[in-house]
Amino acid sequence: MAEISSSRSLWERLPQPLRSNSGVLTTFVLLALLPFVIALFEGKPPSAVWANQAGTSKFVQGLAIEIFILAVYAISYDLIFGITGLLSFGHAMFFGASAYLTGVMLKSFGWNLWTTLGLVIVLGGVNALLFAIVLPRVKGITFALVTLGMAAVFHIVVQSRELGAYTGSDVGLQGVIVPDFISPASQRLRFYFVALLLMYLVYLLYRRFVSSPTGRVCIAIRENEGRALMLGYNTFYFKLAALTISSITAALAGFLHTLYQPIVTPNVAGLGYTISALLIVLIGGVGTLNGALIGAAVFRLLDFGLRRYLGESASFVSGVVYVAIVLFVPYGIVGTWYLKRLQIRQGWTRLVERFRHSSEA
Amino acid sequence: MEEPAIILETLNLRKEFGALVAVADVSIRFQAKTLHSIIGPNGAGKTTYFNLLSGNLEPTSGKVLFKGRDITHQPVHRTIHMGIGRSFQITNIFPNLSVLENVRLACQALGRDNFRFLRTASSFRRYEERAWDVIEKVGLKTRALTPARNLPHGDQRKLELGMILAPDPEVLLLDEPTAGMASEQVPELIALIQEIQRGGNKTVLLVEHNMNVVMSVSDRITVMHQGQVLAEGAPAEIAANEQVQTAYLGGLYQLSPQKGQ
Repeated sequence: MAEISSSRSLWERLPQPLRSNSGVLTTFVLLALLPFVIALFEGKPPSAVWANQAGTSKFVQGLAIEIFILAVYAISYDLIFGITGLLSFGHAMFFGASAYLTGVMLKSFGWNLWTTLGLVIVLGGVNALLFAIVLPRVKGITFALVTLGMAAVFHIVVQSRELGAYTGSDVGLQGVIVPDFISPASQRLRFYFVALLLMYLVYLLYRRFVSSPTGRVCIAIRENEGRALMLGYNTFYFKLAALTISSITAALAGFLHTLYQPIVTPNVAGLGYTISALLIVLIGGVGTLNGALIGAAVFRLLDFGLRRYLGESASFVSGVVYVAIVLFVPYGIVGTWYLKRLQIRQGWTRLVERFRHSSEA
Repeated sequence: MEEPAIILETLNLRKEFGALVAVADVSIRFQAKTLHSIIGPNGAGKTTYFNLLSGNLEPTSGKVLFKGRDITHQPVHRTIHMGIGRSFQITNIFPNLSVLENVRLACQALGRDNFRFLRTASSFRRYEERAWDVIEKVGLKTRALTPARNLPHGDQRKLELGMILAPDPEVLLLDEPTAGMASEQVPELIALIQEIQRGGNKTVLLVEHNMNVVMSVSDRITVMHQGQVLAEGAPAEIAANEQVQTAYLGGLYQLSPQKGQ
């Protein structure tokens, strides 16, 4: 009894955002334990994981790191697309610009990791402002096309021969020197925790943002911007706030991407990378935030699995799967769950009961 | 009774859409703390006139003065901050948000906490409390947590009224608040508007088609016709005006005998 009460008081001493997101906290802890659990399945002691020995665990960590980075990138898209209702086709620029900046600063200029990180955050803000310049003038699909144009320009610039010495033109930036203490090769477990922590913190921050006065207005803008204006909100500033937070988040994802790979190809700045974010958000559920995280996992694992077993034809099959998802699960995984959770639970109970009856008989 | 102050006035306000002159040099002075109705046949320019007052449209020429201050070119999101609230002929709400959230957003807009994105909105209790008060006033307390799209039309009109009452504006522009309402619900809403106007000492500008309502609640009436002011005066004067009778009332509306002359 004494133990329970002390553990409860410990629970109560946790900061409120942690307590109100207990499911998220549980997931975080489970994900933190994942590398060790996998090692146990393989018959290796946790100390081997700690020492970053090669094996299934290290491989899974790598895959998970990619998912975490992708999830952070996708959730940043959900904030402007799913929450604020801004359709942008230039989101890859937020990610790609930072990925390139990190690579160039570390490789060509020999900058320290922390100054680079600072610059990446500044770049995130600048990119958001760039998109915001056109915000008051264009709406809806026009905004999507203008942002598409901006990102296309960036995509061309990084591939240009004039910048080849820094960006590696169309081959991409190779051989980025990553400091030893965060090296994905020798310190993968540490990298895993950094990426997991970033995803966790970003998710908590986004949850809070969406329920804050600012986020509520962003949702109102998505629902009916004209009415939000009439209520007295200068909607531009709210869209700018969402864009800035989204852009900085995507920039952080790009930063980690470069450190992890450590190669930057022009792909990360292309339209395809924006479409990935859009697809992930659609798979997970638009405007649900956690849908972006789940969607990222589904997207990456599907891609990984298909490529492994189908090879070249994988992208054809994955295309069919995405079309099927958009057609048959239009609200995405999380969105459908929110809508149908009662029916799903009832169906499940019925299924279990039927199984019980048949096993009794 | 001394001459009341003019709270809102327009000077030669004009709006052209291409060759169409929707509002042609309209000058009206609205006295503070009165209920002033604007009537006229469809296409007379009433809603356009409202859009010019609230900043939804930019006038081609002319001026809008609020308490003597020129507000002609104020952006639409400033209007409510100055104390002018406006409702729409076509219900204009956030359909997927709850009734409470619709009204709460209206309350929050006037505060200074819009960019405090690290605290939850529900921790700012004053907006939520104010929203509950307003919801109770317009009689939607039992539906507060319903998504607005699930409300019957009449309740949506009440919600819309609640959303412009929430920030407690001095002037309310009501564009056909009873539009599309079941006729038995109309008196209830009109009584509510009267109570708000008298009890809250507010100025109400009302566009309304129901002549019985207009004649019984208005302090003054302006008749618009083809973008121009045809007549202005107390209800009895308007009902007696021959020009109005022929151009408007006689053609489209029949005044009930006890109210008409």
